[in-house]
Amino acid sequence: MSDVHDEFLAEAQEIIEALSRDLLFLDQAQKEGNVQPDLINEVFRGVHTLKGIAGMFGFQTLSAMAHTLEDLLDDLRLGRVALSQEVLDVLFEGVEGFQRLLGEGADEEAVDVKDFAQAIERVSKKRDSGEVTLEDLDLDESVLAVLTEYEEHRLRTNLSQGTPLYRLRVRFSLTTIDSNLEELKERAKSVAEIITYLPSVGGGDGDEIDLDVLLASDTPADELGEVLAAGGDAELERIGRQGGRETSHEALVPPPLDDAPGRPMPTSRPPAPEPPAPERGAAPPQQQRDMSADALSLRSVANTVRVDIRKLDHLMNVVGELAIVRSAVARITERIRANDELRQLAIELHRVNRGFERHLEELQEGILDVRMVPLGQLFDKLARIIRQVAREHDKEVRLLVTGAETEVDKLIVEELSDPLMHLIRNAIDHGIESPKVRELAGKPSEGILSLNAYQKGNHVVIEVEDDGTGMNDEMLVQAALRKGILSQEAADEITSQDALELIFMPGFSTRSAITDLSGRGVGMDVVKTNINRLGGVVDVWSEHGSGTKFTITLPVTLAIISALLVRVAGRDFAIPITSVQEAILLDRAAVRTVEGREVISLRGSTLPLCRLDRLFRLLPVQSDRRFVVVCAVGQRRVGFVVDALDGQQDIVIKALGKSLADVRGFAGATDLGDQRVALVLDAPGLLEEVLRSQELQQLGAETHE
Amino acid sequence: MSDDPKRQTMIPASGSVAVRASTSSSMLAAPVVRELLAFIIADETYALPLRSIREILKVPPVTGVPRAPKDVLGIISVRGRITTVRDLRRLLRMPESPTDKHTRVLLVEASEDEVIGLLVDRVLQVYRLDEDEVELAAVVGGDMSEHVMGVGRPRRPLRVDEDEVSAEDEEILVLLDPGPLLRRS
Repeated sequence: MSDVHDEFLAEAQEIIEALSRDLLFLDQAQKEGNVQPDLINEVFRGVHTLKGIAGMFGFQTLSAMAHTLEDLLDDLRLGRVALSQEVLDVLFEGVEGFQRLLGEGADEEAVDVKDFAQAIERVSKKRDSGEVTLEDLDLDESVLAVLTEYEEHRLRTNLSQGTPLYRLRVRFSLTTIDSNLEELKERAKSVAEIITYLPSVGGGDGDEIDLDVLLASDTPADELGEVLAAGGDAELERIGRQGGRETSHEALVPPPLDDAPGRPMPTSRPPAPEPPAPERGAAPPQQQRDMSADALSLRSVANTVRVDIRKLDHLMNVVGELAIVRSAVARITERIRANDELRQLAIELHRVNRGFERHLEELQEGILDVRMVPLGQLFDKLARIIRQVAREHDKEVRLLVTGAETEVDKLIVEELSDPLMHLIRNAIDHGIESPKVRELAGKPSEGILSLNAYQKGNHVVIEVEDDGTGMNDEMLVQAALRKGILSQEAADEITSQDALELIFMPGFSTRSAITDLSGRGVGMDVVKTNINRLGGVVDVWSEHGSGTKFTITLPVTLAIISALLVRVAGRDFAIPITSVQEAILLDRAAVRTVEGREVISLRGSTLPLCRLDRLFRLLPVQSDRRFVVVCAVGQRRVGFVVDALDGQQDIVIKALGKSLADVRGFAGATDLGDQRVALVLDAPGLLEEVLRSQELQQLGAETHE
Repeated sequence: MSDDPKRQTMIPASGSVAVRASTSSSMLAAPVVRELLAFIIADETYALPLRSIREILKVPPVTGVPRAPKDVLGIISVRGRITTVRDLRRLLRMPESPTDKHTRVLLVEASEDEVIGLLVDRVLQVYRLDEDEVELAAVVGGDMSEHVMGVGRPRRPLRVDEDEVSAEDEEILVLLDPGPLLRRS
């Protein structure tokens, strides 16, 4: 049962994501005064499907809410209500409500449906009054009778916008009508809106049929004719008031019924518009239209499979186990090879094992690939929040997104959601100024918020940038002093970059007024911790007056990493290779002590050292040779001293249990085979820790002087 | 890996009861019997509800975790899943002792998404106790710790190797509540 439930949640989530994407397009289109009817239809279909499945799975509130929203959308697409920002607010509110109802632990009361229905009521009242009657069109009554309400609305809208209407008569062979129609639609897409097509009376000699296509287009008639006639037989006529030529009424009357039996009808708008006899043609085929909408939404999901991420984790575990089997076989092969008589056998076994290894790698890559999702999924969600937050705070914000197609492991996307949301709220609340302030500063009133993503080697970079007020080092330092995060001595010498980094300190928040956006105390330090936990780093750049940019650098995948295996105090540890710059032999004579800390000089620059056995309070083992593993995150470097290097290996990194969540310094653990488990160092975290403790020590040393 | 003899599930001496959560669901329904797994730590007999125990392992190589709480022995891999092992002696503030051939790791469901390994000195057997053989902490009252559910007094004698249990040994099981027990640190 709960599987079915999960299935519903996943599907509903997908629909909601698509809805919010479409609403954002609608928002943009509304601002530009160019609303595409297709888009409203798309939203209508989404809500309709959601209503259906919600009802099926017993989500009554969700279903009821979708139902009221559907009514509003129906009014919209039929032109009974005009699309305005107020209407969009209600639509966004609706999607937000769906999200809340689906949220973890949400009960049916999470959203007040009555309130929502009232909101809809309010916007629905402002009906579109600028009616244009279709009588002006000179269309035959029998034609008007078979038009759906929607088609009428489109005719009316085009008339009131002054878009010329045309009737195109085409002749298609009955055997190829489907593909011909599709081709025609495809050709027409860029130049015209097809409102409807009806079989015409005139055609029908044997295996051919004439269709009358009603379309609206701003393209000059001769050009339009050229594009549409590309398929051959076609005749274009202007209709309506401005029409130069007399429109033949009979031409639009559908063929008589008796023409139909046994004939394949145009099916690309399934089921085909049944040629109705004039007397029963009064009922518009509304029902059929809805069915075709469902058919469409069903088809679009048919070629994908939704998979629980835990199943993929399980497969990954199995791959890990297979890798262990492979290395066991390799060891046995070595032993067989030692026996001269079996040497040939060992070589064959080795070859087989290599083949196995190759396929295993493919399998591994395949599973990793399945786990990858485009960042666009997350960006769409964020875009919705940006719009909402900007409107709440009377700020004008335009979102620019690049690299939405960049793919990242599903788990990373999930974990990124909160930090990114926080950065964005900060950017709108603290960064981008109100339109008036911006104009005074000589900036365009609309602020720009950019989300950029791109891949860089085996990392993904995500930038959150605004062109707002930027950060003032001075104010940051003052705030840090007031909060006792920074000592006066340190403040006197702080560089402007270090001043910016202050925002990542726990308990730091520059604004005294608490808004509902940010300033709740949990802030940038949580953002930083969350990103570090994913093996990533966050950097900040800001210039007072011109904007702020956060750059997040993350590994593409979490599951499998290349690691350097080291031994410290008789134990195995793995260091992710992405953090390792190089590993060198420790020359004891070259170690200097600076302010109580060991450093070496590496190619002209000073490298602070950290003895891992001491850091972890392990009993040091005697060793003649030790090694330094140079780890770097951004510009900062630390040399970790280890007893031995055990080579590089691809490891499947696994999370430590919840009970060890508070233990800092480890990114997880990995199975080395032979029941050996090694801890994986959280290199960025440790580096941060080591450098910070050194700074604190220096600070202490300075204040004691 | 599951056929690795070193890691194979060991069924307790009585052998008749499979250590699986599903078999004991009946104990929820009627207040008739409690199924418990009894084990020894520091010469005292304790018991955990059988349904909370997933598996019993011989002690695999444990990887120590620096900076972990004191009672955490380290981590092991159970068929690819990293599992934290805690020392029940340390958890109950009892003196440590070296592991021997009897030492076992009980895999206990700590929460919905974590299984924890508990190191015990030796596993005894499964008990099915009637209601009147159990004194609940709430009834006994007084100075019992939160992680002690109550005391079991089986009518039958314990079936340990005879040389280790003399006749006058009182047959008392301290019933542990895995929830509060594993929240201790």
